[in-house]
Amino acid sequence: MARFFEERFSPSNSQAAVAVTTVVAIVAAMALASPLFIAVGADPLAGYWALLREAFATTRGFGFSLVRAAPLTLIALGTIVSWRAGFGYLGFEGCFVLGATAAAWLGLHASAGLATGPLSLVVFLPFALLLSFAVGGAWASLVGVVRARFGGNEVLISLMTNYIAIFLVQYLVSGPMRAPGGLPESARLPRETWLPFIIPGTRAHAGVLIALVACGLVWTLLRKTAVGYEMIVAGLNPAAARYGGIEVGRRLILAAFLGGGLGAIAGLVELLGVQHRLVEGMSGGVGFTGVVVALLARLNPVAVLPTAIVFGGMTVGADAMQRSVGVPSSIAFVLQGLIVLFVLAGELLRRYQIVFFPLRSRARRKAIV
Amino acid sequence: MNGGMIDSAFFVTWLTGAVRLSGPVLLASVGEIFGERSGVLNVGIEGSILLGALASYLACYETRLVWAGFAAAILVGLFIGLFLALLYVTARASQVVVGIVFNVFAVGLASFLYQASLGAAASPEIVPMLEPLRLPWLSSLPLVGRIFFNHPPVLYLTFALVAVAHVVLFRSRFGLSIRAVGENPKAADAAGVPVERMRYVGVMLSCMTGALAGAYIVLAQVGMFRDTIVSGQGFIALSIVIFGRWSPWKAAAAALAFGAADALQLSLQLFNSGIPPQLLLSLPYVVTILAISGLFGSKARQPAALMIPYVRN
Repeated sequence: MARFFEERFSPSNSQAAVAVTTVVAIVAAMALASPLFIAVGADPLAGYWALLREAFATTRGFGFSLVRAAPLTLIALGTIVSWRAGFGYLGFEGCFVLGATAAAWLGLHASAGLATGPLSLVVFLPFALLLSFAVGGAWASLVGVVRARFGGNEVLISLMTNYIAIFLVQYLVSGPMRAPGGLPESARLPRETWLPFIIPGTRAHAGVLIALVACGLVWTLLRKTAVGYEMIVAGLNPAAARYGGIEVGRRLILAAFLGGGLGAIAGLVELLGVQHRLVEGMSGGVGFTGVVVALLARLNPVAVLPTAIVFGGMTVGADAMQRSVGVPSSIAFVLQGLIVLFVLAGELLRRYQIVFFPLRSRARRKAIV
Repeated sequence: MNGGMIDSAFFVTWLTGAVRLSGPVLLASVGEIFGERSGVLNVGIEGSILLGALASYLACYETRLVWAGFAAAILVGLFIGLFLALLYVTARASQVVVGIVFNVFAVGLASFLYQASLGAAASPEIVPMLEPLRLPWLSSLPLVGRIFFNHPPVLYLTFALVAVAHVVLFRSRFGLSIRAVGENPKAADAAGVPVERMRYVGVMLSCMTGALAGAYIVLAQVGMFRDTIVSGQGFIALSIVIFGRWSPWKAAAAALAFGAADALQLSLQLFNSGIPPQLLLSLPYVVTILAISGLFGSKARQPAALMIPYVRN
């Protein structure tokens, strides 16, 4: 082996190397997941084809893929803002449900409080966005304060806050916000608060546009503003940032606020675009899948868009596959996880180069020494 | 709250529950201590517990033998450990990233395999479970006997493992090597300690006890499998390691404190306190956050090379 591979001094970061290792990772992940199809008596190739066709080759299916991609994008953007500033936040499940709750509360009470006339989305949406963002942001900044002031481990604390937020929302939908009826869920929101469909013939709603706008804003924040620059420097090297006059603690708390707010907007989009009422277990792991999307996009806000569409499409395709072939839809999580794990393992490949002429190379190395 | 709630029956139920519920998280955190002492934060422990739980359930379901369940969990845990160590140590990927992604993968795999092997329609079937083992003499002690010595044998083994782990970690050459590669891998390497191999061992121990903790939950507490069965106990084990300052016996105390919070929630529900159950359910998580927030007590000093991959040059 050692004759044909030689360790590089630094891993190859050329575009070609990154592309090749990513493709290798995806193929390896799909190959490794194939036995799962065979185990339930399905043909892997037909399965993958069904998965891709439903999600990307039909208008209706692609609309669903966009619907799933919108919250993933927003959570991935939240991940990017917080992680770039060195704040390893993982509490997006909690922010998601809290953001949805805030929007639902406003939606249910707005029509009663508004004396001036009928409720319209143009009036409602800005307030809902602000409230959701503030609630999610405040929730995440609590963890930011603990990290910045007391040095607590934000990774673990934010993981715990997920459970607290989820229990809190469970309490609300089974108690104070519960609609009369059998299931623990809130009343349905008035139709005026629903996000309209934007592509004819599909269920793609205006939340997709919200995600797009957020993507542009995050890109601008990180690439074009001084605050964004300071956050990135604080994340890369806190000591150097402090020496350069950046208030690292404040930037960290701000990053936590923005990250949590974006996570909450994801919940708002899901509520106003799809569910239209607050239900238990709305997040269903999207808070973690969004983080995975951000990681696969290498914390780049522009690369998040295609990645989120692919990941959203995978869950749509997997649902279709469960209906048609009977393969459990959790195959989507398996594939998503495997792909990213193999991309990470692919870093290993980029650290070696192939030696085409082993003898000559060895002679040359001797000559150098 | 009603007045007669705080009586001896309440306390005995509460403390017995505290000891019972501390078992799995303590078992998982003992191995995790070795992983972190060697310099690797194994966030993937949550997934290890889940897959260990599934493996033990399926093995026990097929064979109707409890020990086969534990054996399956050990094998699965070691295999997971090997895979994760490849990513953590050899590929030198970010440990938080690998762990989080592995957990997503594990949830998908566990729910897929469970549905595929038993069918979605099948109602969850109870598998054979470990009976509580009343230790002779000790279990007849007043109060203490009921609280500490009327539990499944894995609980006693877990506490025995804490003692063994403490001796191994602080009194053996192997333990010294583990701690050395987590504090100063460069010096350890210069002294001839194989850094990468010690870290592989640390990660595999962590995943193995994690998987065993999953088997513990299935075979001694629940008797069946659901993909929500773990519900953050792996993350709590990670917190217990911090709260226990990377020492097995302090982790045991931390696990008992967590168990007390968890059991208090159950007891208050049982004794009908009138507080909404969902708010009580969040109690253990609140206690855990407060414990590791750094708000109280001296700041935890972690192994110096924790989360830093080692590159020899």
